[in-house]
Amino acid sequence: MDVDEIDEEEFGFSRNYFLAKELGSSRKKSARKLSEIDLVDEEELRQVAANIEPKHEKEVKHLISSYESSYSNWLFALRCGFALLMYGFGSKKALMEDFATKSLTEYSVVVVNGYLQSINLKQVVITLAELLWDQLKLGRKTPSGSLCKSQQPFNTRSMSYLLTFLDKPDLEVEDCFVCILVHNIDGPGLRDSDSQQCLARIASCSHVRMVASIDHVNAPLLWDKKMVHTQFDWYWCHVPTFAPYKVETKFFPFILAHGGSAQSVKTASIVLQSLTPNAQNVFKVLAEHQLAHPDEEGMPTNNLYSTCRERFLVSSQVTLNSHLTEFKDHELIKTKRNSDGQDCLCIPLTNEALQKLIAEII
Amino acid sequence: MYSPNEHPPTDQLAENNLQPFFVLHKASKSSESSAVMSPGKPRKRRLDSSPKVSLNSESMKENLKMEVFPYVWSKIESNIKDVLRSINADVFDEIGRWVCESFNEICSCRGPVDPSKSTLPYPFVQNGGLVKKLFTALVFTKNIETVDDILTFSELGLNLKSRGCYVVNISSLDFSTKNGIGGCLRAFLRQLLMVDIEAADVSLLASWYSDHGKYEKPVVVIIEDMERCSGALLSDFIKMLSEWSVKIPIILIAGVATSTDAPANVLTSRALQYLSTSMFFLKSPAERMDAIIEAVLVKNCAGFSVGHKVATFLRNYFLRQDGTVTSFVRALKMALVQQLSTEPLSFVLKILVDEGDNKRSWYEDLANLPEEVINHAFELPSYRTYSVNRNNHAELNAMSLDQGLSELQRLQELWRSRLMCLHEAGRYHKVALLDLYLEALDPELYNSRLSNHGCDNAKDKSLLSDSDKLFRLQKAEVTNQVIRKIRDLPAAKLSQLLKSWEGLTRGTVEVHEKIMELQSQMVSGDVKSHKAELTDKSNNLQCYNLCNRRHINRHRLNMEKDACTSNDKAMTLAGQTIRDTMQPIECMPFHELICFKDVDNLQSALVGDPRRRIQIDLLNFYKILKCGCCSNSGGTLSPSMHDTSIMYTLAQEHGDLINLHDLFQSFKASISSSEKKGLKKLASPKKRKDNTHSQNNSDACFQARFCSAVMELQITGLLRMPSKRRPDYVQRVAFGV
Repeated sequence: MDVDEIDEEEFGFSRNYFLAKELGSSRKKSARKLSEIDLVDEEELRQVAANIEPKHEKEVKHLISSYESSYSNWLFALRCGFALLMYGFGSKKALMEDFATKSLTEYSVVVVNGYLQSINLKQVVITLAELLWDQLKLGRKTPSGSLCKSQQPFNTRSMSYLLTFLDKPDLEVEDCFVCILVHNIDGPGLRDSDSQQCLARIASCSHVRMVASIDHVNAPLLWDKKMVHTQFDWYWCHVPTFAPYKVETKFFPFILAHGGSAQSVKTASIVLQSLTPNAQNVFKVLAEHQLAHPDEEGMPTNNLYSTCRERFLVSSQVTLNSHLTEFKDHELIKTKRNSDGQDCLCIPLTNEALQKLIAEII
Repeated sequence: MYSPNEHPPTDQLAENNLQPFFVLHKASKSSESSAVMSPGKPRKRRLDSSPKVSLNSESMKENLKMEVFPYVWSKIESNIKDVLRSINADVFDEIGRWVCESFNEICSCRGPVDPSKSTLPYPFVQNGGLVKKLFTALVFTKNIETVDDILTFSELGLNLKSRGCYVVNISSLDFSTKNGIGGCLRAFLRQLLMVDIEAADVSLLASWYSDHGKYEKPVVVIIEDMERCSGALLSDFIKMLSEWSVKIPIILIAGVATSTDAPANVLTSRALQYLSTSMFFLKSPAERMDAIIEAVLVKNCAGFSVGHKVATFLRNYFLRQDGTVTSFVRALKMALVQQLSTEPLSFVLKILVDEGDNKRSWYEDLANLPEEVINHAFELPSYRTYSVNRNNHAELNAMSLDQGLSELQRLQELWRSRLMCLHEAGRYHKVALLDLYLEALDPELYNSRLSNHGCDNAKDKSLLSDSDKLFRLQKAEVTNQVIRKIRDLPAAKLSQLLKSWEGLTRGTVEVHEKIMELQSQMVSGDVKSHKAELTDKSNNLQCYNLCNRRHINRHRLNMEKDACTSNDKAMTLAGQTIRDTMQPIECMPFHELICFKDVDNLQSALVGDPRRRIQIDLLNFYKILKCGCCSNSGGTLSPSMHDTSIMYTLAQEHGDLINLHDLFQSFKASISSSEKKGLKKLASPKKRKDNTHSQNNSDACFQARFCSAVMELQITGLLRMPSKRRPDYVQRVAFGV
């Protein structure tokens, strides 16, 4: 019975996949361009995006507060040694922090914002060790020898020392741990395997409990079975919130601004206007050539030199090269090699964008 | 989310959101209520519920749970560890002996030790040539999942340490190309010398070894998963060790998951030459699984058990999905956690464990409980059906609960012994305990078995053959098979089986007597046949005629018939006792207290399925949000829907590539459809340009909403951003839920 179900599921999946593929090829692909939309300026877009009126605000609030009834179960699972993994659509940041503030008061909590680009996990571990140290001191009524030994500050210790400290089995107090709350454990700053291994080692320490969230549908592929079963020891919690991903998307590029020509034309014209008129003219020669010959790979360097010399824009190859270096530094041009083996220069902009640009710098 | 008084200042919050990490709060002085317990060593032996505090108070419940969990789980965990240890004991002994022999061999070719030269490779060799052989044990794990073997190899390490070896466990992570050979050497030195050295070198090891006069002990290096190591690195490592193999008597033990040609696939031929290999085989995961099932769930070491559906789920998860014993153990732990969270009275488990240790009545503990808790027990569905069936009007107090629990235990004991009897019979045909266990747990099977039995009695018995009478249920395939095959057992095995049954059924007098009877019959039969054989032989000697030969044949036939009847009797006995007394736990009153049945809950906590669930969240969001406005739309898009849901539903209509322009237009159309009802959907672009500021504003709004919806889909990984090659297309990632 179950086998049939699985087969059917697999069949459904492959059927869907091929249908989608077929749909892509059989139906005439729409060739419309993004630039056909009258795009709004990025800054304005960001401003408007920040103030979008959320839909179903009441229901979302109600949904999130309904999870409060599970807090005691989550806490119990944590205390029994599991790590919580929250998933489901919607930002879970507020929910997790609320859980921590309400239920984890007896334990110190460190929050890691995994949606940011760079996170120094060593610093996190140092903080965890310091907090555990404080917590042990707090819980202790009579100081004992092992803890009162003069300690070297944690930030000079090696990672393995810190992890051993967090994993000490011989501390007398058993139910003593620090919590680490990781928002988007599948986020861009933590997605590499080294970070995941490190997080797994942190999670496996006996005096650390982890609460983490994932948003990507393929996030479990980050972990192998050893990490899942023996280190993270996940207790999955399906908690869709439908809350907007406001903080998490803060550093995401806007699709209607990023690929759009408006932005690149703007930056290119700013750069060009800061250059000498001669340099601007050299760029114009190149642009005109590209507009006139849209099918070619670009303009061969020696052609550019001869044209520029004819128009008295440069006096030697050296001057031209200095202009070209400037362009390259600002990513205004790229070099390619054409079929004859010549080095060609081209401007990485669409023709429409190029026309706009030339109109702007004149 | 925050209530006003604990709301952190907004700018601090915003700042925190941009910090890579921050401390949310420090531990407040932990309240006295937090249960501080060390596993295995309970601070208090008895349930501390003497003052009649209401169990409804949340903190009291929490504390009870927290007190019971480590207590019960440590019992189960230590049991599992013991089982795994004993399953490996034989192989470990073998390996230990081999290590000794190898070490002796190394010593025999080593000359007198000169400490001054001990830090150079290629040492003093006595009899002929350089000895560069590295003694290597290949331990075949029969298991592609290395997770299960982590514990095995650390146990092996401990075992060898106890035999006086220096042991180093190195994992494949240490053999990564990134760290180079220095990485594994560092791991090596860290474990032996207890120091963390940046510039690791073998000579350090050599001087450590000679300094401490350790010449009488070998150094054993255990690599858990050879096939996951970088081949080149491992080859270098082996080469290096072999150069030092006499100075430092190093013996290598490597775990191999696949087959005997694994070393040849991983190592260079040069490194292979250095190895002098021996092979050892561990037990397969299925065998380990059976042993764990027997120790934890059948013998029920901690009183905790699971229902039929949960057991089936666990079996399927083990066989089809995960395949690791580790995950099975994890699931069991999760089941215990959930049982304790959902059933307030399940703390009786602690008393069960206690009782296992020192038989005592639990009446005392129960009598101290508040009345409402006792009443809760009598409102359990299992007790209700029980009392309705029996027309039972017993008094509902602690005493009767105590009796009920004792009865529950007695019935479980019966069930256990019957199952073990079946398992003993199944051993001869290599039937897995797991399969028998599942059938024995099935309440439906039991109920229909009972009703069938009633039918049989009513009908004319002669119409049904014996085996039909035993079980007419096709579903109980394995149990049926095992019982039927008792008939085919040869006499020696049958008597062996009866002997084991005798031990297992010691608790129930009736069945025990029957078995004894059968045994004595068989013994007398044996004696008869023995005598008959003797007479046969003497007859053979005396006269060798046809008549006597017939006589012999008849004798043999009689003997076979005897054997057949005792086999049949054993079979009938087995069928009967199973039908009468093997009651699955889910058919017993009060079982909810100790038996976990919520398979859905367990499954969702054990195997999150983000790929499916997140898509369903998006497609069926109105079921989760329970909003009135969108649930009526019946699959069509309505502008009140969540933006990202609209976007994802729209994306479903595309192929694997989605034109952004088209997507934007259809998105815009669907979120603005209500506003423009009756009007033409899209104004011409020219007209739009002339439009007022407000139009512009709404354009910006559409674009902003489109952008955020795309971003949210990007976060979930359901859309991939445009590539440079195709700047106007996004890519769909998931096909089908």
